[in-house]
Amino acid sequence: MNLRMVTTIYSKEMLDMFRDKRSLISMIVVPVFAMPAIFGVVHYFTESLGKKALQESTRIGISARVSQPGVRGALKISGFELVPQADARAAVEKKTVAAALDEKIGADGSGQITVFMDKTREASSIAGERITALLERLKLARVKTSLRGMGVSEGVLDPFQVTSTNVAPDQKMASFILGSVLGYAVLLLMFTGGMYPAIDMTAGEKERHTLEPLLASPASREEIVLGKIFASTTASFLTAILTIGSLLIAIQRLGMGQGGEELEKLVTRAAPGVGAMALILLTLLPTALFAASVMIAVALFARGFKEAQSLLTPVIMAVVVPAVVGMLPGLELNVGLSLIPVFNVSQLIKEIIIGEYSPINFATAFASNVLYALVAFWISVRIFKTESVLFRS
Amino acid sequence: MIQVSGLTKTFRDKARGERAVVDCISFDVRDGEIFGLLGPNGAGKTTTLRMLATLLKPTSGRAMVGGHEVTAEPAAVRRMIGFLSGDMGLYHRLTPREILRVFGRLNGLSEERLRTRIEEVIDMLQMRDFAGTKVDQLSTGMKQRAALARTLLHDPPVLILDEPTSGLDVPTARVIEEFILQARRSGKCILYSTHVMEEAEFLCDRIAVINDGRIRIIGTMTELKAATGHERLREIFLDLLDDQPKKAAVI
Repeated sequence: MNLRMVTTIYSKEMLDMFRDKRSLISMIVVPVFAMPAIFGVVHYFTESLGKKALQESTRIGISARVSQPGVRGALKISGFELVPQADARAAVEKKTVAAALDEKIGADGSGQITVFMDKTREASSIAGERITALLERLKLARVKTSLRGMGVSEGVLDPFQVTSTNVAPDQKMASFILGSVLGYAVLLLMFTGGMYPAIDMTAGEKERHTLEPLLASPASREEIVLGKIFASTTASFLTAILTIGSLLIAIQRLGMGQGGEELEKLVTRAAPGVGAMALILLTLLPTALFAASVMIAVALFARGFKEAQSLLTPVIMAVVVPAVVGMLPGLELNVGLSLIPVFNVSQLIKEIIIGEYSPINFATAFASNVLYALVAFWISVRIFKTESVLFRS
Repeated sequence: MIQVSGLTKTFRDKARGERAVVDCISFDVRDGEIFGLLGPNGAGKTTTLRMLATLLKPTSGRAMVGGHEVTAEPAAVRRMIGFLSGDMGLYHRLTPREILRVFGRLNGLSEERLRTRIEEVIDMLQMRDFAGTKVDQLSTGMKQRAALARTLLHDPPVLILDEPTSGLDVPTARVIEEFILQARRSGKCILYSTHVMEEAEFLCDRIAVINDGRIRIIGTMTELKAATGHERLREIFLDLLDDQPKKAAVI
């Protein structure tokens, strides 16, 4: 193995890559601008739609049949605008009001109030839940008044107290959320970021007929593949670094905006320190090598760019599944699960950010990912040496 | 410098099964000689050149380039050759100067030698005006000169040229031809594939006509004329291509 050959191929691929618009978009533009843009849009819509829903939730319908004492007064005091409705259900269905109340007399002569709401509309859900809670409080107040009238202590209604406490500190909760999102986003973008460079330096070269002069040069197939894989690894790793950076900055920026208090807390409490960041990057390094080797091996089968894109789409889908599973709560990494590629990284990132990773699991995942990367590299070389694949027409 | 003996390459595909694209061909090319490989599309010219450039492994037979066997010592063979195809194979986002730097390093030139040699070939092929322009902004003629510069950069003793004037206008093709003649004068061994009769007649010292993977005839123009009774290469060529169906009909 001649190192000069490998570095020459690597330098050529890097130069070519940084002049390719498609590679630059997937490698730099998407992680740097798309992540903050996605967060910004989601944040904007969540906030503005939430405000609008809250505003709309105050307008509710009420049937003339609602005659329970204190109900109308309590609703008005709580800020609801009461709109008389002959048909409460129809009013909600037609979206005339956010929610509506109706009352009928039951067989035992007691009043039965029905709250109509449309749970597919946020404003209706908010209104319905607020009305229900208010009526429950009103009912309880009337029961207490009756008990007092009968000389019975209110305590019979509340023989013991129940409280629930989340033992996870806020930081852990924030870290869990951040770690889950980060693991998924980084893995997905790492593969998509390395995809175009991998296609360009394999199927792209075939399509442009630049592979033949390279193969006829004194560089061996191993040296050529290694140079290409290192360049594609650089692309994937660069995408990972940019994704992490832009994601943290996006959350921080949005946290400083209106109503972003929770996000601000999240990033200030959960943002990984230097040590954790170094561990995350160390975790991602063999995965970048693995991603590059797999994508180069697959893209080599294609005759051209479009065919390579079609071949690599299932690879990206295959990455999404373990990355999404890694986001689910309740899953904890053990030695066995540390052997599953992609999933192990997604879990490790989460655990590193939470600060509860096991060195054994880390070592197992790291070693297995290095092994997978080497196997994928070996397969790439084998494919690169296969005439029927290289000169497929 | 090039010795080919019983070289065969078979491919297998679903539609046609196993078939010989190059079928037991033998020839040799000497130093200071331009040897033309003439044949229609699909005759086996490119496959032959690819085997000699170690891009494809022969199914059987033997080929020596500069004293090295192509299957046993592919790296040594690649160090001896300059390979150029009609597709040119230039990186369109790089400039000719950058491409020359890459291939100079791959061919083992020292950084100092590389610097001077790049300037030499740029001057030699009159590329100074466009050596720093990205390939995708160059004309076909400029691109082919850049591709030829890449082929000649490390001054290889053997040139394997696969339809190097394909798609070029007459003046540019003439420039390329001049350089090939100059390479012959400097003693290089040149294997030249083409399907342009005039070009073969003008450039080649000896010509082999190949069709359906088999060499139909080898010789100098005088020898070909004497063997076939035709004066022009075009007639010789067409006669040889027609020969096979006629024979098949007789059989």
